[in-house]
Amino acid sequence: MEKLEISATARSPEISFDVERRHLTIKGESYPEDATGFYSKPLKMLDKVLKGLGTSSFCFDIKLVYFNSSSAKAIMTMLERLDEAAGKGAAVTIRWFYDAEDDFMRELGEEFCEDLEHADFHLEVLKG
Amino acid sequence: MLATDLRDLQALLRRKRIMFCYCGYVTDAVLTGVGEALKQKMAIDEADTKTMRSVFAVFVEQMQNIMRYSAEREPPDEVDDEATREALHHGLRYGVIAIGHDGGVFFVDAGNLVLKHDVERLRAWLERIRASDKASLKALYREQLRAPREEAARGAGVGLIDIALRASKPIEFDFTEVSQQHAFFSLRAEI
Repeated sequence: MEKLEISATARSPEISFDVERRHLTIKGESYPEDATGFYSKPLKMLDKVLKGLGTSSFCFDIKLVYFNSSSAKAIMTMLERLDEAAGKGAAVTIRWFYDAEDDFMRELGEEFCEDLEHADFHLEVLKG
Repeated sequence: MLATDLRDLQALLRRKRIMFCYCGYVTDAVLTGVGEALKQKMAIDEADTKTMRSVFAVFVEQMQNIMRYSAEREPPDEVDDEATREALHHGLRYGVIAIGHDGGVFFVDAGNLVLKHDVERLRAWLERIRASDKASLKALYREQLRAPREEAARGAGVGLIDIALRASKPIEFDFTEVSQQHAFFSLRAEI
């Protein structure tokens, strides 16, 4: 179980978790019927990977053009877990991508990273 | 007459500049379907990506608030309104949502029944949100995401802040009594 691949649907994002390369990507739109249920598997897997991470690197790419308030909670939880791991010595990189035409997402990114103390956070423009 | 009645209803909606109006049981299927239609309509009418996304975001939050607010604590038999009793028995949430465009501004109005018991708490929370500027709203948003209160645990807390953040002016809301146990709550966001 080295990879978790969840295809995007009309209301949920694509999730691509390469455990070996320690790279998690969430891409698309997120407003599923049950956000807690949807994010529970990726979150469980993330916790498992972070447990044995030590001082290794981890990259989390967020490429969401829209997410609802329930998804926001799940995303914040993931960021908190990653920041905790970074606090313990892991080299965590978080990249928050936003559409150049939508500065609301950029502003949200600025808010989400506000309380991160250890992880390396970058705001990037979505290309293409 | 059927045709004139429906035409009058359509004319009323048009007069109020409403593009989409859904009044009935709000289910996820309805959210998905109306959401898709809204996206398509906006893609045709509205060039600004940010505006389109904000209108859609407010629509989703308003619909999900209707679905979350339930009178589940009340056994259906104790509810004095028959239609509500019937709906609760089936686990369905009834609400109304109207999305319109007037003078360059989009509005998303939503309404649903709430327990009178919940009105004061909800009103206080909404007053706080309405009185907050963007910077305070952002801080409140972060605070809610990290340490949920009771409302936030049920999803409504962050959702209402999200709506206020997307809106181009302070949200408007209202409550009106409908029965012994229930009030009708409505919320307008303009984008």
